[in-house]
Amino acid sequence: MLLKNEVRNLRTAGGLSQQQLAEAMDVSRQTINSIEKERYTPSLPLAIALARYFNTTVEEVFHADT
Amino acid sequence: MPTRDLTRSRWWMPGFSLFLGAIMLVAFTIGDNVGQGLISLGIMAVLAAIFAFGRRSETLQGIGGPGRDERWAMIDLRASALAGFVLITVVIGAWLYEIANGEDGEPYTQLGAVAGVAYVIALAVGRARG
Repeated sequence: MLLKNEVRNLRTAGGLSQQQLAEAMDVSRQTINSIEKERYTPSLPLAIALARYFNTTVEEVFHADT
Repeated sequence: MPTRDLTRSRWWMPGFSLFLGAIMLVAFTIGDNVGQGLISLGIMAVLAAIFAFGRRSETLQGIGGPGRDERWAMIDLRASALAGFVLITVVIGAWLYEIANGEDGEPYTQLGAVAGVAYVIALAVGRARG
C-alpha cells in the first residue's frame, strides 16, 4: 500500500536538497525521490527517522486518507 | 535512528567478479582448456571494471554495492523472486518437453526437486524466524 506523504513539503520548507536529506537518512538520493513521488513506501524505521528529523510525527508525514 | 545498513564496499562486486573469473580459469585449466579459461577471466575482468567505474548508473551501484539501501533490498528481493519464477518455469517446461519426447526428464527432475525443497525450507525458516 502506497501512502501519501509530506516529505517533499517538509524538505523544501527546511531548505534541504534531496541529496542532503538522503545523507542524513543514510539512503540514496533516488530513494528520497521515490518516497516523495509516492512510488515507494519506506520501512517503519526510516519513516520514524524522517519524522524525527523534521520534528514531527509519522502520522503527520505519512497518511493514507488525503 | 540509523536504518538497516545494507551498503557494501564499492570494491566488493568487482572483487567478487574477479574471484569468479579466477575460479573459472582454474576450472577450465583442470579441464585442459586454458584458452577458454583466459577468455572467461577477461570477460569477468571487464565486468569487474564496469562495476568499479560505472558510478553514474543507479542499477550498477545497486548491484555493485555503494547504492544499496532498504529500497534496493526490496528491488533486489522482487528481482530475485522474478528470476526464480522464470527459472523454475523454464525447468518445468524443459522437464515436460523431455518426458513428452520419451526421455526420463533428467536433469530437470533433480533441478525442479531441488528448487521445490529449497522453497519449502526457506518458507519454514522464514516462518520460524519471524
